[in-house]
Amino acid sequence: MKIYDFTGAPNPRRVRVFLAEKGINNVPFEQVNIATADNRKPEFLKINPMGGIPVLELDDGTHIAESVAICRYFEDLKPEPPLMGVDAKDKGVVEMWNRRMEFEVLGMAAGSFRNTSDFFKGRIPQVKEYGEVCKSAAIKRLEWLDTVLADREFIAGPRYTIADITALIGIDFGRTTQIRIQENQKNLARWHQAVSSRPSAKA
Amino acid sequence: MEQVDLATGKNRTPEMLAKNPAGGLPFVELDDGTHLAESVAICRYLEGLHPEPNLLGKDSREQAFIEMWNRRVELNLFAAAARAFQHTSEMFKTRIKQFPEYGATQRETVANQFKWLDAQIGNKPYIAGDRFTIADITAEVAVDFAVQAAGVPMDPALRNLARWHQSVSSRPSAKA
Repeated sequence: MKIYDFTGAPNPRRVRVFLAEKGINNVPFEQVNIATADNRKPEFLKINPMGGIPVLELDDGTHIAESVAICRYFEDLKPEPPLMGVDAKDKGVVEMWNRRMEFEVLGMAAGSFRNTSDFFKGRIPQVKEYGEVCKSAAIKRLEWLDTVLADREFIAGPRYTIADITALIGIDFGRTTQIRIQENQKNLARWHQAVSSRPSAKA
Repeated sequence: MEQVDLATGKNRTPEMLAKNPAGGLPFVELDDGTHLAESVAICRYLEGLHPEPNLLGKDSREQAFIEMWNRRVELNLFAAAARAFQHTSEMFKTRIKQFPEYGATQRETVANQFKWLDAQIGNKPYIAGDRFTIADITAEVAVDFAVQAAGVPMDPALRNLARWHQSVSSRPSAKA
């Protein structure tokens, strides 16, 4: 088993933080340099025809791409501590919050970066104005998240879950295009401080 | 099931936003008052209540594999079709700031995703392998939406995609 990884990118970090929270530390990582587009080379496209990272390679040769799919594999393999919910309702609630964090926070930060950064110039057709719309949407979503966190410790409720990991990485990645927690967003700042100070955040 | 008219913005009224602050549909109201939004989160809840027939995977490997395929279809095909529609349709003209140029790039993405999916389906009966899963549901809805709403025709030369689409569309569930 191994994971194709790139330490500078947001999605692989989701899996590394998840594994750190699970206490799984025996999976080897192999770096794939996305800065030089190694993930778009024919050899890598055999591993993941979408070209994205991270990818989990199982001993039977199966390749699992998509960060959350990889997390789900490890959640089932090692259910404790639960990071994706404990019963039908809780699993639904955690998935709802994780998806909100994915689409509304991480997705908007990514849309902002992809459409305005030099990194993606020439790789995708960039529409700068759309990037600006994503950025302002992300900023609005942080205001909303601050109100959500007024009466709960973590994003999906009283327990730390995958939704916290996605939100943390979305907010941290937002810094690349100046999407930041505002001074008056005390609940969000308190939460961010708490999740950032867990040892897993360094993964 | 209670209808909420998206066309007249009923999903954005304060009463609805109190139930689902993201404003989307569908969501489930449980008997304990919990509101569960996000289609796949609702499916996961229902899968937990009724594990058979299994649509989200049985063991670790299968759950991950099906989730990978569901997400590939969702994030690359369905999301591009949705953005193509949102940035070019009359319905969204006054709701969001539209960038028709961006909508056009998303149409191209959809057309490329059709080709990609055709190659990936190959001889497989279903998107994630040998049985019908949530990935087929997402893909079927995405293809129908891309063709009917986003205006991206399905090239008949993409035979694997056409064969798969014909097969899943003829299931009784497709009429839902």
